[in-house]
Amino acid sequence: MSPSFFHHLHPPTIPKPQARFSHTLGAGGLAVFLSLTLLVTGALEMFYYVPTPDGAAESVQMLTFLVPYGGLVRNLHFWAAQGLLIVSIIHMVRVLLTGGYAAPRRFNYWLGLGLLALIIFLDFSGYVLRWDEGIRWALVAGTNLIKAIPGIGPGAYRILMGGDAPGPAALVRFYAWHIFGLILLFIIVGVWHIFRVRRDGGIAAPPPKLRQNRERLPRNELVRIEVVAMIVATAVLILISTFFPAPIGPAMSETAPPTAEARAPWFFLWVQQLLKNGDAFFWGVLIPLAVLGLLAALPLIRPSLAPEEIGSWLPKSGRVVQIATLGIILTLLILTLL
Amino acid sequence: MNVTPSSINPTPLSRRTFLELAGKGLLAVSGLLGLGGLSRFFSFQTETAVPQTFALGPAENYPPGSRTFISQAQAYILHTDEGITAVSAICPHLGCSVNLADNSFDCPCHGSRFALDGEKLQGPANRSLRDLSVEISADNQLTLLT
Amino acid sequence: MKRTLAALFLLLAVLTAVWANGRPPAPIPLTPTLTGETEYCLTCHNDLPDISAAHPTAVFGCVRCHGGERLALDADLAHSSMRGGANPSDLAVVEPSCGGSDCHSGAVSADRDHIQRVQTSIQATYAGAIAAVRYAFGVQPDPAAQLGAFAVQDTETNTGVPYLDPFNPAQETHPSILKFSQNCLNCHLSADPLPGGEYDRFTGCAACHTPTQNRAPDQLTHTLTTAIPYTQCNTCHNRGNYSLRDMAFHPRTDEANGRLQDYYQPIGQFTQCEWTLDCIDCHTRSEAMGDGDIHSSQADIQYVQCRTCHGTINEPPLTKTITDPNDIALRLAALNPVIDLQVGDTILVTEQGEPMWNIRQLDDGSLQLTGKVTELTLPFSRVMDTACEQNPDEQESHFCHECHAVEH
Ligand code: FES
Repeated sequence: MSPSFFHHLHPPTIPKPQARFSHTLGAGGLAVFLSLTLLVTGALEMFYYVPTPDGAAESVQMLTFLVPYGGLVRNLHFWAAQGLLIVSIIHMVRVLLTGGYAAPRRFNYWLGLGLLALIIFLDFSGYVLRWDEGIRWALVAGTNLIKAIPGIGPGAYRILMGGDAPGPAALVRFYAWHIFGLILLFIIVGVWHIFRVRRDGGIAAPPPKLRQNRERLPRNELVRIEVVAMIVATAVLILISTFFPAPIGPAMSETAPPTAEARAPWFFLWVQQLLKNGDAFFWGVLIPLAVLGLLAALPLIRPSLAPEEIGSWLPKSGRVVQIATLGIILTLLILTLL
Repeated sequence: MNVTPSSINPTPLSRRTFLELAGKGLLAVSGLLGLGGLSRFFSFQTETAVPQTFALGPAENYPPGSRTFISQAQAYILHTDEGITAVSAICPHLGCSVNLADNSFDCPCHGSRFALDGEKLQGPANRSLRDLSVEISADNQLTLLT
Repeated sequence: MKRTLAALFLLLAVLTAVWANGRPPAPIPLTPTLTGETEYCLTCHNDLPDISAAHPTAVFGCVRCHGGERLALDADLAHSSMRGGANPSDLAVVEPSCGGSDCHSGAVSADRDHIQRVQTSIQATYAGAIAAVRYAFGVQPDPAAQLGAFAVQDTETNTGVPYLDPFNPAQETHPSILKFSQNCLNCHLSADPLPGGEYDRFTGCAACHTPTQNRAPDQLTHTLTTAIPYTQCNTCHNRGNYSLRDMAFHPRTDEANGRLQDYYQPIGQFTQCEWTLDCIDCHTRSEAMGDGDIHSSQADIQYVQCRTCHGTINEPPLTKTITDPNDIALRLAALNPVIDLQVGDTILVTEQGEPMWNIRQLDDGSLQLTGKVTELTLPFSRVMDTACEQNPDEQESHFCHECHAVEH
């Protein structure tokens, strides 16, 4: 069988132990699949979405309730987005716990971290596009965080929002970022990331001489596995989207009274929790940036990994990184659930 | 012409370095200018500024003891023993609108609490709610200045 | 093999999605001519009748009055932004619900100022009772109204009461006033009624205009009418007594078993017409809904007396011949078409000029009332030229009752 375009995206063979699901958790592949799903469903949503304060929530309701399969499309987009964020984090944790961050893959780890940040921004900007009462205070508080940056805050706020308060300009800006600006960056960095995976020699594995199991998986088998995985993932996503609708609220209203409770989207609940401690800039900007910086610094921690341990779960020489990773994830998890 | 190492003037090397540096520098300047232009591009205000004065109608609409939320202004009008006063509903922490509870203003976002006169009772906000001024005209009409 | 199984799984998922998409009821659109914005409330509420002939669903739709999310097919979301829950006429939200210059908060001259009038009316403010009780216990120096059920103002006052502050029990100290606030504030238009079918009514406009007689507890009704039966008035009136002594409401204990007993005054006397007719056959719009002024007592606003229809020994009742095809009397008759009122017909009017459009003076000079609710045709006579010797200055009902009461 002559290799197709899709076969060419893969190396002819890859080391079998590292290709196993129990090793990769399928997270990277799933992330690619979910990204493609998001592009397709997002494109479909664009045919109905109206990025104006008066039209946004209405058009979302129209899509959700009236357009045939519109609700399904929206739910797919929603769940694929939440899924993408989750599998990206799983992917990152996997890389950190199996030594995939070690040289020469350090740079690609940082690219991945950049993608994670982009995904969070994409998730937040998409969430804001609902422009309904459900997102109101997250939008206000989230964007005011920018204003809280000393010095450049107010200017940066205006650059982001196009005005002094959330309004038509802010909505159209979030729209432009969500459907084009951030996607453009996401695609560029994403393709770069995948390119680097191959360039760095595929999934991290010990140097050939140190391998105990020399078995390799040919790419036509790999592609076959991926196809099956994709079919199953599509089916699961459809089922989730059929039975669990994405959140939606009444149109944002000028006259709405203050509410007694306001919750950030789930992926920012930890920041909301942090912000209860006080100063907005410190807890809402510096600390999250510090978390990102900490994650970025993990591959720099010494001693570096023993080559023969790369590509297996929890290598001994990476204990510090593993403990730090689990510490960060656990802390974020606890803050989120609090 | 035969060029031997000895005949090379030491300047060409430094000239090349200089040109390279100069090139990078010029590109950087253009880049910075571009960034500056971009940030100016993004800072244009398409919207008219948020209004600062609000006509609230006759003072009788705000009888003693009343606490009225003015949604357009995100403010509360209070009529207490000291007369009619106004306090901003915008939480000084991150801008959520505070909610009138039994005897305080509670912020729904991160739990700041303020007394009815706007005084901070509990963080994370580091300031009190902003006092706003209300003007009463001769014919008893209220104007709120934010 | 694996791939076949996966494909089967996917097909099942897709079929599930198709099944789920076909499952909810097909959306039923409605584009009311008034708003021009399509709404989908009928998807679930298609069985609701028009609320009244004057508010056909095809013209008004649902959202104009009720609010709500017009496109949402999820019940919770669709209802989340509704005004006043199921009752958009509650006085707290009546302005956006029923108001508008073409609707019920228009110009006085166009007779479209219902909301302004109702909000200042004694049935809404309860100012009379509040003032009387506070005066009785020495909390205020005179019985002029100061406080109401809610704050309200009247910029062009004719009664000397330009505004009412809200009655706030927290600011009262006299124990009787506190008791009053606990026990006696169940009957104004914003108050939730006491429990029990006999008190059952909505708030706001619907308190009167949505008959609740015989409805099951909490059963929703989608009706507005100007043919308000006396039973609706009876959800507040004739239910018992408020006692100043213990500052409590004492519900009537007798079993009413007839029109006459439905009225409640242990020592009351009634003439035939008072228990044959419905309240609204005689009492007028301004008496019930206010005249735009803030009054301090029910007595200041209730003015229809026996003589309004019967005249006195010296004078016939006031009449008016309808000439203007836009006359308010014709509009009112059209809303409750119990008679076919025409230009050229002669009807009675009150001394304040309000039309009694259901009472005509026929060509032969005789008088005829048509029940606004019962549709009964009831001829009746003037006092003039009868044996009656009643002093024209003494026309309050109790004077007439001395001769004309029905035994019971
Ligand atoms: S915005 Fe009010 S506490 Fe944070």
